[in-house]
Order: sequence, then structure tokens, then C-alpha cells
Amino acid sequence: MALSFSLKKRFRDFSFDIDLSIGEGITVLFGPSGAGKSLLLNMVSGIVSPDEGVVTIDHIDVFRSSEGIDMPIRCRRVGHLFQDYALFPHMTVYQNIAYGISRLQSSELRRRVGELMELMRLSGLRDRYPDEISGGQRQRTALARTLATEPRVLLLDEPFSALDYQVREKLRADLATIHERYPITMLFVTHDLEEAFIMGENIAVVNDGGLEQFGPRDEVFYRPGTRNVARFIGTRNIFSGRVSRVEEDGTVVLECDEMGEVRTAYGGRVRPARGAPATFAIRPEEIMVIRPDRPIDRRVRDNVLDGSVVSATARGTSHTLFFQTADGRAKLKIEMPNSAYRKVLPFMDGTISVSLKKESIWILPDARGE
Amino acid sequence: MDLFPLFLTLKVSLVSAVFTVTIGLSLAWLAARCDFPGKWILDVIIMQPLVIPPTVLGYYLLVVLGKYGPVGRFLNDVFGITLVFTWKGAVVAAVVASLPLFVKPARAALEGVDRNLENAARLLGKTEWQIFRTITIPLAWRGIVAGAVMAFARATGEFGATLMVAGNIPGLTQTLPIAIYDAVQMGDTTLANTMVAIITMFSMSVLYFVNWLTRGKY
Repeated sequence: MALSFSLKKRFRDFSFDIDLSIGEGITVLFGPSGAGKSLLLNMVSGIVSPDEGVVTIDHIDVFRSSEGIDMPIRCRRVGHLFQDYALFPHMTVYQNIAYGISRLQSSELRRRVGELMELMRLSGLRDRYPDEISGGQRQRTALARTLATEPRVLLLDEPFSALDYQVREKLRADLATIHERYPITMLFVTHDLEEAFIMGENIAVVNDGGLEQFGPRDEVFYRPGTRNVARFIGTRNIFSGRVSRVEEDGTVVLECDEMGEVRTAYGGRVRPARGAPATFAIRPEEIMVIRPDRPIDRRVRDNVLDGSVVSATARGTSHTLFFQTADGRAKLKIEMPNSAYRKVLPFMDGTISVSLKKESIWILPDARGE
Repeated sequence: MDLFPLFLTLKVSLVSAVFTVTIGLSLAWLAARCDFPGKWILDVIIMQPLVIPPTVLGYYLLVVLGKYGPVGRFLNDVFGITLVFTWKGAVVAAVVASLPLFVKPARAALEGVDRNLENAARLLGKTEWQIFRTITIPLAWRGIVAGAVMAFARATGEFGATLMVAGNIPGLTQTLPIAIYDAVQMGDTTLANTMVAIITMFSMSVLYFVNWLTRGKY
């Protein structure tokens, strides 16, 4: 099963224009609030009409403005999960799930609904009303209700964002189970970075009504295509500079105002020209803090900067540090596990060194000439 | 005591309630769910009977439905139906007078139904009519019933417009409120008191019944 679309819609102060083609599996639609993620889902399912464009599900056009095709919502066979569940409040869990199943013998209907209730761990809640069950149970009911109609595509609009952490983790596992059992195309909207990373085989980054980048998860996370993507995925350390030289082993040396010379393992296909502008980034968890009581390892000898820690914040399982170079020109955000943080804690007050591994520095493609 | 006015009032109110709910529900749905140019004009016309004096409303109806009026002549020529000075005229007067009392709460009830629920039903493959029957009405029925009862009560008590359109013909078009007026005019206080007591008890039990019926969640 596959879903592809090309959608345009203009509002007074916002315009939407995205082309995308996704295959089976879970694709995460990631971006800040107001980027147009929900609008995209609503246009695919037909709740909102695009100004122009195409929506194709399994090679069947459900919308094609140039030929006047606009299939009614009920015929599109698109499953859509909403953040607020949209369960029918006057129906029980059983009635909600059975609602979309049409033309089935009553024994067959009971069997199907029973099967779905078991799959979604709802068996004991058959006769409860939506306001008598928990948030997680509601979303599972909504999921079972959608699956009962055997949709070709499943759209999930921040389905877990109203739920607490543990429930969310369980539901993610449920979704993975469902995906194994019903291999359908899923488009999962979230603005939560962690959730995007956990759920997505592929990630589409959306911003301001446009597509910033689309690709496999690791590519988007470790090789962001634009400054915006780098920002959204939490790469806070983004700098601009120029290519100063290329060494024999392929190391590209950049020159930037904040940090001076920075050595990078470029790895690109096209050799960058000397003097070309380059934007580069390093993820906060890739920066290493060097312990003064240990000799510098060969591996971390690239790009050593001296400075001090301006602030440190505990973030549950990790710590976030803000580091400033001795001359005060460069500021870096560093993230480290608590165990590592405890080891460097005694040296926090004095001068401290960090190292930017050249393999961890990513040069954004706008400067690569690719 | 002559029971004719009581039975006529019940007949007129029930028949008019059927028309009011049918016409009113379509109008309420249109107002709640659709946007079209001139919607505000429709709104103003439907709500007019709430503020216009009943005699003025009755006069309009008399002019439109009368023998020489546009609608009256059409009905007479094509279907052979005469409305003016018949019980059917009283029904028309009751429908027009009670329509706004039904449309207002019914519209609010329909607007109160989360449109996302209707979208969810569409996504599950349901037609608009199925959605209206299984989602919209079950979630809005309280407001609709409340409106229907208000309309029914208004029809029972309709006086001014009915008098203008249907007249005051004992045994033919004399409804209970008109019969009460007549009794008071003729100084028959016993008759007036009896009829007033009947209508009061009737109204109170209807309201009690509705309160009882609409308890609970959905």
C-alpha cells in the first residue's frame, strides 16, 4: 500500500504546498505547532479540501483537482485518529468499535469486534461508555474502531499527546503490534522529538506549510538538510564559516569566527571549493567533555576547545550544560548522561576542555554543492 | 361543559407540532451546518413571530392565505383547500407562531454536536443521512425535544393570530384560549375557571414529563 499526494492550499497569512510519496510502514510527520501537519492529514482524509492537488491511495486517485475528482470522505477508506479520540459519547466501547462495520452477520460482527477488543486489551470494558474509561483506553477504542473498517491508510494526529508518559509508551508498543498484524501505511503526526525518533522509520520534517526534509530516520537526525531541520531535531550548535583547505585524507578544515579552525570528516561526493561558505552543526550529545585527570585520548584529539561551563541543568536521565569558550565567542550546548556528568562534576568550576569529534560535525548540504 | 374547544386545541397543537418539528428541524440543521448567502434574512424571518404582535402576524397570514391572497388562491385552485376560517388555518397560525421557539433550541443543540464526531463517522464510511440519524440526533435530542415541547405549549396557547386567521366559530374553529376569552366576556366565570384549570394542569404535566424524560446523560 502506498500513499502519495501533492497538495496546495492558500490562506490569508499561510500557504501550504507539500508533495510527498510514502510507502508501507510508519512515516512520522514532524514539525513545530502551526506547521500544517494536521491540515495535511485533514486534506488527505477529505475533511478539508485543498485548493489544488492530487491524493493517491494505492494508485487510486481519491482527489485530483485537474479532473474534478473529489471522492467523499466515506469512500476513501482512510483511518484517522484524533488527539481528542472523537469517540461517540452515547455509545459503549463495543458499539463504538462495531459502528463502522457494515453488512456483517451478527455472529460474525461479534467475533470481529471481540477480536479487536482482545487485540487492543479492551475485553473487560465492552459495556462501558467513553467517559467511564481512561485516556489510554479511549485511544485504544478509537484505534480498534478505525481498524474495524480495514482502512488502506492510517492517519494519526498526535494521538498520544494528551496521555501520560507510561500510557504513551504502551500505546506505541500497541501500534507496533498492529503494524505487524495489519501492514498498512501509517502517517503519524507529532511535535515531540523523542516520539518522532521512536516511531518513525521515515521522517518528514514540515515547517510553515512546506516540506523541509524527508528521509530515513537516521538520515534526518544525523544529516539534517537545512538549518531549520537541524534546529527542530535538537541540534543546537549550528555555526557558519568558510572552507579554508582540504587535506589529503579528506579532512575539510573550516574557518569560523567563533571557534577558529574546525576540522571535519566531510565525506561528501563533491570536493568543496576553498573559500566556499559552509554551515555546520554538531549534536549536543556528541560533544565530549575532557576530564583533566585523564590524558587526552587520540580519538578525541580533534577540535579541542578550552573554556568554562556557564550553567548545568538536570534533565532526568541526563544533564544539559552550556559551555563557553575562553574568549567568550562560542557557546555550545552539551548533553551528557548522569554517570558521565558525575565524573566531570569535580572539575566544573575551573577551566575545562571539550572536544568536537570531526566525524560528528555535519556540514549542511546547502554549502556542499550537491 | 362543551369539550369541543379542548379537543380542537389538542388536535391543532399536535398537528402543528408535527409540522413545526419537520420544518423546524430542516431549518435548524440548515442554520447550524450550512453557510449560504442570505442566511441572515432567513434567520430574521423565522424569528419575526417572537417580536411581532400576534394580530399583525395573523393579519399577514390572512392576506397571504385568504381567498384572494397568492397562496390561498393557489391552494384553492389546485388542491381545493381553504385555510381561512377553518381548523387548518389555526394549524398554520400555530406553526408560524411556534416555529421560532422550536428552531432556537434545536439549532443550539445541533450546533453543540462536535463536528469532529460527524467527521469520525464519515471516516468510518457512513452517509450523511446515517450520521444525522445515529450521531447528530442522538446527541442533540434533548434540545430538540425541549424545543418541540415549547412549540407545542405555544401552539396550545396561541390566541391572536388564530383569531385573525381561523376566527371564533363555536364548534368549528373555537380553540380553548378563544373559548376562555368568550366565557370571560359573557361573565361565565365557572366555565372560564374550569377551562383555565384544565389548561394549567395540562401545561404543568407536560413540562414535568419533559423534565423526567430528559434526565440522564444522552
